[in-house]
Amino acid sequence: MSQGTTEKKGNLFNQEQIKLIMKSYDDWFNGLSDEDKISEGKYFTHSGITTKLLYTPADVKDIDYMKDLGFSGQPPYVRGVYPNMYRGRMFTVRQLAGLGAPEDCNLRIKYLLDHGATGVNILFDLPTIRGYNSDDPEAEGNVGHCGAAVDSIRDMDAFFKDIDLGKVSTSIVTHLPSTSVVIPGMYFALAEQRGTSLMNVAGTCQNDFIMETCVGSAPEILLPSASFRLQCDVVEWICKNVPHWNPISYNGYNLREAGTDAVAEVGIAISNAIATAEELIRRGMDIDDFAPRMSFFWDLHNDFFEEIAKCRASRKVWYKIMKERFGAKNPRSLLMRYHVQTAGVTLPATEPYNNIARSAIQGLAAVLGGGQSLHIDSYDEAYSAPTEEAALISLRSQQIIQVETGVVNTVDPLAGSYYVEHLTERMGERIMDYIKKIEDMGGLVAAVESGWLHREISGYNMKHQKAIETGEHKIVGVNYMKAEEGETTPIEVYRYPETYTRQKAKLDLLRKERSDQKVKECLNVLRDKCHSDENLYPYTLDAVKNLVTLGEIEEVFREEFGLWSFPLI
Amino acid sequence: MERKIKVVMAKLGLDIHWRGVYLVSQFLRDAGMDVVYLGNKFPEQIVEAAIEEDADIVGLSTLSGNHLTLGPKVVQLLKEKGMDRVKVFMGGVMPPADAIELEEKHGVEKVFLPDTPMETIVKAYYNSTDEQQ
Amino acid sequence: MEDIREVEVLVEKSLQGDKLSTARLISFVERGDKRASYILEKIYPHAGSAYYIGITGSPGTGKSTLLNRLVLKFCEDKYSVGVIAVDPSSPFTGGALLGDRIRMQLDHKKYDYFFRSMSAGRVLGGLSRTTKEAARIMDASGRQIIIIETVGIGQSELDIAKATDTVLVILTPDSGDGMQMMKAGLMEIADIFAVNKSDRPGAENMLLSLEGILDQKKQDSEKDNWRPQVYLTTASLNKGIEELYEGIWKHYHYLQQDKRLEKRRKTQFKKELQMQIEREFSRVLWETIFEEQSIDNLVDTVWPQRTDPQAVAQRFVQKRLANRIAGKSK
Repeated sequence: MSQGTTEKKGNLFNQEQIKLIMKSYDDWFNGLSDEDKISEGKYFTHSGITTKLLYTPADVKDIDYMKDLGFSGQPPYVRGVYPNMYRGRMFTVRQLAGLGAPEDCNLRIKYLLDHGATGVNILFDLPTIRGYNSDDPEAEGNVGHCGAAVDSIRDMDAFFKDIDLGKVSTSIVTHLPSTSVVIPGMYFALAEQRGTSLMNVAGTCQNDFIMETCVGSAPEILLPSASFRLQCDVVEWICKNVPHWNPISYNGYNLREAGTDAVAEVGIAISNAIATAEELIRRGMDIDDFAPRMSFFWDLHNDFFEEIAKCRASRKVWYKIMKERFGAKNPRSLLMRYHVQTAGVTLPATEPYNNIARSAIQGLAAVLGGGQSLHIDSYDEAYSAPTEEAALISLRSQQIIQVETGVVNTVDPLAGSYYVEHLTERMGERIMDYIKKIEDMGGLVAAVESGWLHREISGYNMKHQKAIETGEHKIVGVNYMKAEEGETTPIEVYRYPETYTRQKAKLDLLRKERSDQKVKECLNVLRDKCHSDENLYPYTLDAVKNLVTLGEIEEVFREEFGLWSFPLI
Repeated sequence: MERKIKVVMAKLGLDIHWRGVYLVSQFLRDAGMDVVYLGNKFPEQIVEAAIEEDADIVGLSTLSGNHLTLGPKVVQLLKEKGMDRVKVFMGGVMPPADAIELEEKHGVEKVFLPDTPMETIVKAYYNSTDEQQ
Repeated sequence: MEDIREVEVLVEKSLQGDKLSTARLISFVERGDKRASYILEKIYPHAGSAYYIGITGSPGTGKSTLLNRLVLKFCEDKYSVGVIAVDPSSPFTGGALLGDRIRMQLDHKKYDYFFRSMSAGRVLGGLSRTTKEAARIMDASGRQIIIIETVGIGQSELDIAKATDTVLVILTPDSGDGMQMMKAGLMEIADIFAVNKSDRPGAENMLLSLEGILDQKKQDSEKDNWRPQVYLTTASLNKGIEELYEGIWKHYHYLQQDKRLEKRRKTQFKKELQMQIEREFSRVLWETIFEEQSIDNLVDTVWPQRTDPQAVAQRFVQKRLANRIAGKSK
């Protein structure tokens, strides 16, 4: 079969054979029992794509291998962003570390590095995430819980004691742009103080305005447009100054956990990327200056094949948008690289050890989908932050997939599956439609400010919850094959170390030792610059170097940018 | 006339997860209750709201580890302000042992852990006010 | 009656400014408890010195944020503020999800305010009456500024607005054009317009459009010939709030002159009285009907005769009235 002109599709299949298959399929279908016939059309993937009883080449008869799938490391990248995928570079095993005071985290990080982790993922406690110091009244009851407390550059120093910042890849999970403009700055300032050039510092921060304004509720939230501005400031400055740092990770994971389906997860994340790209181009950058540094963060949910299809389709959608819409020339701009985490929301508290199986299966799907780094959730997800034992099991699960199953020996092994290719195609279409819908609303920032996204999320949750209540959506042990009342599995639960007193002591000392004059100056300049068009990063950097605390900087943002709350009800 | 149950719902402190608490609020509304949703608030603000709204029930949601620090504070403040008839429910993620402690030692009416069916929660809220009439 | 004793104590405490008692009294009135009229009778003489402000606007106008800013301004000027935030409830279940408190962050130890959410629900006498009664209770308890916030621009909301001294209508640049405003009856009720989210495009146009319509309208004697004012605000950024606040006080001072406020309230009272008398008659009549004969029976009786409903009603009422006067029923 010749390739022909660009108009003509290069059919992968022999069309005569396809006709035969289609006819034979009808005969086969008619031969099914009445029950089977009736049930057809009643099975769906989680996001609502019909799932047939049987898939054949006829379901993908128009597939043009070279155009629609290609090879790994080549457009449209459905099969993977690198030619050699896991043979060349095993997925980075990043496990989360972050609890209590920075000194405690330092020990956990060293433990994980000793046991084979190749990257470090730092989570922060709620006050830090939302920009409060450990001794602010808002921090009460939350210091050091679920993550590490970081108030100043000194905490960053304690975090990375005895660790060479030039040799480790650090993911600083600052969800919000308003803190991504400060905390990674502490890391950069620290590196320079230790003599490590910013040219050698590697890592990522999350920096997603959707996190700030939709996914998490808070007593005080910045206006979406302000948070978006800071998001772009972070990307712009880091692209220009820290070449090996990825300044943004579009967070599909937390959005999904808050309540959306696979299509919305990808659709919104990519819409965010589109909005960011347009803004940065408006600021005078070239698409290839920053696109290679954008990465994504996906959720790996229960529907095995749908999730794999989502991963494959997302690569193709990104490629098309970067190439056709933005005219990106650097091949690295066309690659969608992503970190993937198995879905915490699917791990119930009932019979927690079942979650080891759930996470492992989801982890397998993640690898088959082709992600660059993976985190497998721990079985005690529904109880608290993981114990060391639970964290180790997760790590081992990943290593088992890596070296015992053989699935990493070949690229994109599910390619060619009629079902998977069909699903990939459908997911791709739906994602593009979703992106267009947001575009028609005036872009993602407008869609958020109007309350549309919040309504999408609460609508999904209501639908999903009702499905659980009726038993339509089955969860083993919870509403399906529920064990007898009273059977609870006793499990060891992590206890957070007391953190507040230590942090308060450090803050008191810091306030004594720093120059009040300098602090005042830095804050005044920052206040002023909030109302300018300038990138704020240089000013926050200056502030952290002068021992201004996180909470003080964030308070300036709240006052100068104005507050907002969910347009929910 | 039938008395409508009034609930004050809050995210405790800085806790960011709103999925669960918003769902519960909607289910309670659908069961005919008036639910005053506070968003993220701290114990003193929550209690002040309970007073002004003349609440029958206060519902607290937390998944971030502050349940033992801030939860009991709400119960205690309610008592101090003369609102001890108000029932306090909590929901979210915490070790089961903590849930028991909250119920047995700190005056929390019931703690709902993950996987609790909505029906159970709504019924519990509903029944908790029977004694007051 | 020990029943009454409990309420007597609450009334006493509420009149002294106690929040808990005030809140409880409002609840009694909300659910149409039989002691509600006793309560209202007792507190009414103590009410009347507060300044009532009605705020209304469609969802999405940033009303709550604006309200928050205004409450802060009044509190900073050391006024004792009461807020009643009214939201619709589900027509199916009667329940409601009330979110107006989400934005109330003010430290209640520093600022003296009382915030009460209210839902339409299955409340006897309808929403507007209960809201007004709750406002009176707050008034009697010592609150100096009473703000009633409603959502949307439906009939209920217009009723509430007519029961306040100053009506503030909140719009945004996206609120549509002047014609729509007129249709909605907004021009009739508003004393002040705030065009919120004025950082958005179209704000100036909306301002000019409104000013144009207001210039053309006849002076409204119902509103004491006050020429409504328009302000641009961006509540989230705390812009324009000062001017709006001053504008509200301007209206207040206007009403203070020439006994305008008293006239206005007297007119409102008259309308309220008329409505209540009609309601009372209606109530008495219906109670009588249910005593003797359900409406279904009546329908069954007259249906074959094919008489028009108005004639049936007139005959029916005449008969009942005659019976009452003759002292037949108890």
